[in-house]
Amino acid sequence: MDQQQLTRRRFIVSVIALSAAAGSTLRPGLFSVSQAWAESASPLDDPVHKAMVRMARLLFPHDALSDDVYAEILDQALSDTASSNENAANLEAAAAALDRQSGDSWQALDEAAQIEAMRSIEAEPYFLAIQNQVRVGIYNGAAFWKHVGYPGPSKGFGGYLHRGAGDIDWLPEDK
Amino acid sequence: MARTYSLNDDSVVVVIGSGAGGGTVSNELAQRGVDVVCLEAGNRLTLADVVNDAAVMHQKMTWHDKRLGAPVWLCKTVGGTTMRWSGVTPRFRDFEFRARSTYGALDGTNLIDWPLTLDEILPYYDKAEAKMGVSGTHGTPPSFETSNYKVMKAGAKRIGYREITSTRTAINSVARDGRPACQQIGFCWAGCAIGAKWSTLYTEVPKAEETGHFELRTGAMAIKVTHDADGKARSVIYADADGVLHEQKARAICVAGNVVETTRLLHNSQSNLFPDGLGNSSGQLGRNYMRHVMNLTLAVMPGPVNFHRGTRQSGLILDEQRHDDSRGFAGGYVIETVADQPYNIAAFVGGWGRETAGFLDDYSNIAGCWITGEDPPEADNRITFHDTERDAYGLPVPVLHYREHANSTAMKQHGVRQCESIYESLGARRVLSRADAGGGCHNMGVARMSERPEDGVTNRWGRLHDVPNLFVSDGSVFTSSAAPNPTLTIVALAIRQAEHIADAMARREL
Repeated sequence: MDQQQLTRRRFIVSVIALSAAAGSTLRPGLFSVSQAWAESASPLDDPVHKAMVRMARLLFPHDALSDDVYAEILDQALSDTASSNENAANLEAAAAALDRQSGDSWQALDEAAQIEAMRSIEAEPYFLAIQNQVRVGIYNGAAFWKHVGYPGPSKGFGGYLHRGAGDIDWLPEDK
Repeated sequence: MARTYSLNDDSVVVVIGSGAGGGTVSNELAQRGVDVVCLEAGNRLTLADVVNDAAVMHQKMTWHDKRLGAPVWLCKTVGGTTMRWSGVTPRFRDFEFRARSTYGALDGTNLIDWPLTLDEILPYYDKAEAKMGVSGTHGTPPSFETSNYKVMKAGAKRIGYREITSTRTAINSVARDGRPACQQIGFCWAGCAIGAKWSTLYTEVPKAEETGHFELRTGAMAIKVTHDADGKARSVIYADADGVLHEQKARAICVAGNVVETTRLLHNSQSNLFPDGLGNSSGQLGRNYMRHVMNLTLAVMPGPVNFHRGTRQSGLILDEQRHDDSRGFAGGYVIETVADQPYNIAAFVGGWGRETAGFLDDYSNIAGCWITGEDPPEADNRITFHDTERDAYGLPVPVLHYREHANSTAMKQHGVRQCESIYESLGARRVLSRADAGGGCHNMGVARMSERPEDGVTNRWGRLHDVPNLFVSDGSVFTSSAAPNPTLTIVALAIRQAEHIADAMARREL
């Protein structure tokens, strides 16, 4: 990996780490740099990359979200930041451990067996790190927000006072 | 207009901290013509700095200096923790000032009664509510009823609760006091973007400046209080933003750094005369640290709630704010709505897999509430200081020791059952509760008020038993935690204390 890639990867993961440490939100807009990454090659081998996209989905499986959403979160973690090498190493470690658990190819297992293999490594630091990054990526991400009808910050459009803050139509009548 | 005072001016009252306690006592003194220098460790933000982004606001406002042990969640900024609070402002009830008499000794606790009564504080509750614009009081309308509140109210009625209210929130329900009405923007846990929620940053501090009797020094970290040979406080030594030390003389001093910093400052002010810390002849300084009993419940309801639309806390249930042994615990708790954005809900739910993701798929149907309840004082729940670790100021790193009392555990279990029943009564598809979800945002005790000097650090005015011109003006003075969110009581006590100080100064007793 060249120096420029390393630098780019360092930036984004430090943003993720910062937000994770804050236990709080991230602006999806911060990630627009990931477009640049998408045009360059992944540092992971193709099978490893595919396995990790699958694992990301099984971590937080939302049928309404496409594989691209999960892949982008991984690609962001692999772009640009001080800990990008660490992220790549975590993903490689997870993929190798899952294959070891499975005897051969974790990806070839059925879903229940894949999840069982993940459960066996869920206390590992590399697994927890990946889990945290995928959680931030999914739940602070535009795709999930759109899926559940959450529009994000409302200051820009003036809040919900006249935009449904009290709207609810299914509650039983007061007795 | 804002004034500046000389470091050698020993006629000023020095107030340490600009939050609910420090900001209020500063303004109340300045309004009475008393000259005040307020030292605030953090920076001064403006409303333009408030964005709908909890991570960004966390970086801007949080007290990031190292602390060990039980986590706390406090602010280092002008306005202190009034920049990051719910705005929920219920009053204590009479029995809560008489905790020891009402509950008995409670094994393992250090419970005593407050040295003052509800009747004495009632006029100051009125003044505090009028100042803060608490909804449903003093002519202001109740708060807007959000969907999340309507769900809680409907469920609460079904399980037999009666005291359900959308009042008692210090967020403008109508424009008043030069600030707008709430627009239900949400995200206001991390600072109200329009100033509808009361914060000393844009109320007490500028009002104090307008009197011409007030100077705010930001980036000013109090390091030590000095005293004279007679044991009267003489000055405050503080570090400015560049780390340069200054000494501000004072006629009297009010400490309001929130419990951790208040303890540290008094502890760090030890001397030959006060070898265990300033005002610690009782040995109670830093002890009786209380955090409130907390539990958060989320429920997936049969229809949409969209609880992100509007304030996080928009109403409360007061039925459990009572003492009733038959529930299996002493003291009471308050139930309040709660709402959050998807990431925080995912972190709250925890874990991974279908169950976690499935809960989040129903984000638009989620309703939520939490409890805050009385946490009894214990001698070993305390703040101490690390033997060797020092922070950037060269001060010993605080260590917070906290263990939950069995009474708190029993209360929490009761609270979980009640909160879950509220939603189950309306056909919730799934409910989920997590204890101590807000741990560390309500901090009380450590310099408690007591009738007898051997039982506490401060007297009924928050004045140190040991040092006649040194006061504590934050939640550190709470004798017991009571159930309600502490800010209203901190503000009421600060108004009362300022009146006491100004009167004592006028009589030349201070």
